[in-house]
Amino acid sequence: MAAPTELSVPGGLEPAIIVPPPAAAGRLGRLRALGGIWLPAFLVAAILFLCFLWPLIGPVSQPTGGTILNANLPSFSSGHLLGTDSTGNDEWSRLLYGGRASLEVAMAVTALGLVIGGLLGAFAGYVGGWRDSVIMRILDVLIAFPSLVLAVAIAERLGPGEVHAIWALSFFSVPAFARIARAATLRVREQNFIVAARLSGSGYLRTLLRHVAPNIFPELITFGLLGIGITVVLEGALSFLGLGIPAPAPSWGNMIAQGEGILSAQPKFVMLPSAALFITTVSFNLLGESLRARWSDR
Amino acid sequence: MSSVASAPLPAPRAGERAGALARLAASPMLRFLARRILVAIPVLWGVTFLTFVVINHLPGNAAQQLLGINATKVEVHQLSAKLGLDKPLLTRYGDWLHGLVTGSLGHSLASGQSVTSILGSDLPITFELLAFAFIISLGLAVPIALLAARRPYGVFDRLSMVLSMAGLSIANYILALVLVYFFAVNLNWLPALGWVPPGKSLGGNIKTLTLPAVSIAVSLLCFYTRLLRADLVQQLRSQDYVTTARAKGVGPWRIILHHVLRNSVFGLITAVALNLGTLLGVTVIIEQIFGLPGIGHELLSAINSRDIPVVEGAVFVFGLLVVLANLLADLLYATLDPRVKYGSAD
Repeated sequence: MAAPTELSVPGGLEPAIIVPPPAAAGRLGRLRALGGIWLPAFLVAAILFLCFLWPLIGPVSQPTGGTILNANLPSFSSGHLLGTDSTGNDEWSRLLYGGRASLEVAMAVTALGLVIGGLLGAFAGYVGGWRDSVIMRILDVLIAFPSLVLAVAIAERLGPGEVHAIWALSFFSVPAFARIARAATLRVREQNFIVAARLSGSGYLRTLLRHVAPNIFPELITFGLLGIGITVVLEGALSFLGLGIPAPAPSWGNMIAQGEGILSAQPKFVMLPSAALFITTVSFNLLGESLRARWSDR
Repeated sequence: MSSVASAPLPAPRAGERAGALARLAASPMLRFLARRILVAIPVLWGVTFLTFVVINHLPGNAAQQLLGINATKVEVHQLSAKLGLDKPLLTRYGDWLHGLVTGSLGHSLASGQSVTSILGSDLPITFELLAFAFIISLGLAVPIALLAARRPYGVFDRLSMVLSMAGLSIANYILALVLVYFFAVNLNWLPALGWVPPGKSLGGNIKTLTLPAVSIAVSLLCFYTRLLRADLVQQLRSQDYVTTARAKGVGPWRIILHHVLRNSVFGLITAVALNLGTLLGVTVIIEQIFGLPGIGHELLSAINSRDIPVVEGAVFVFGLLVVLANLLADLLYATLDPRVKYGSAD
């Protein structure tokens, strides 16, 4: 019986519920199911290529240090595809470099959450008992801890910056991944192959790393893709409030914040980074959801 | 998840207290409630203590912030002593806890106002904003989910799934700025900034709240639509009572409205109650963009002025609301669905 105390928490970092589409009927259905994964996968690959590789190999100018002589050029002017901002920096290059900063933060935060949170949650779920209670209570405190206080504290104490934004946001990704990992471990724990591993003399640590971890990993990695989408948004919020990546260097969040002041005169400085952030989030969310749907079909 | 401690409360022995009281204390619902509240106390304590320590370690204290950058060391020192900031950290936290137990949240270091009255004037604004957002999102989510579930994988269903995916992916601060650009700057229909109290002008009040409420409501709307639609479709597919109703000749709309919706609505109600807690964080950035003087706005400025009592008060109220919302979710779930019993989690 599902006791009311075992409810999962919707909202926040939990992914939305999705119903797997009906078993692919015929060729058309199969084609559509493939498109469901390959389209977002292509988008994600394109975004990663543009933000990480293209600035290295393509004709992309530096995102900072432009001259005032080039200020406020319109879009499609020569050498500046999307024009320049009020300090003469190329907007297209700011978008790419800003995306690189945002995605670096998002991926680092997700990776930290995946490894640390995943191990903590798997350990808590696997050993159970008081150790489980203590770990989960501490993580509950972290979840209930007001994100803003922490973000301000880290920004003012250590100074705003990319690494510090990663610190601040990891405080939320670690407990989120820990919860997912714990729930998955509870499902795996009682299965026969775990009992078999234990009977054949496999110790706690070995069972956890060799038998439990590989089985909860797919679930964690699909949640990780959703997590990247969520973290890109959160990093944007931090930078928007001036607590994330500091101003001359671009990030989508601080570009939106800078554009807010001139929203009525030149909306493109809000709309372009907003659109980039939106497309990125949608792509990662779609990829995560479709992988999840496929995984739960099995 | 896992929010239940392993040790249950000792049940009162039947012989000790006679009659109704004993039966009341032994009721599973009360024991469940008591256990949940007992578990919440250390979490709330941890959050307030951590906040206290973190704010205290920020550069500059309230005295420094109040006097400004040109104040001499002696002045800062005197004001610190006057505000009681020279006492050790643990003593001050102990004083705050003592005040809390006796029902007082202390006084603001910046304005001297009591924290209760500050929160009392900010909370209604935030609550009104959230209530508005909930009305919009639920009012649209239920009909959309019903229409979508009527023909799963039909045109309307697919359209609503695609749109809700997009809506879930859009950040609320981006949506807020886009809305401001179109409805405040271009069309000039609604104000971009500010707050009109409902006592002054109800129409003006609703106008100032519309854009912020919509900014919050869109992602909720998409989340609720997906949640309800998924549950409706699942029940329509797999439940025997649906087959029975169909066999009796009940029409498809009647089945959805009178039979399935009544069962599916539990999950939705639970989600709403749980969201109440998480949404308080969202209000900070929205209140900042639209200049609403709510609790999120207050928290941000209190952190900046190192006004520890106000920060602690807001954090405590936030935490308490999260706990209460989760409790409410569980209670509603079990009250509405007679199949759920209050039991141990194992």
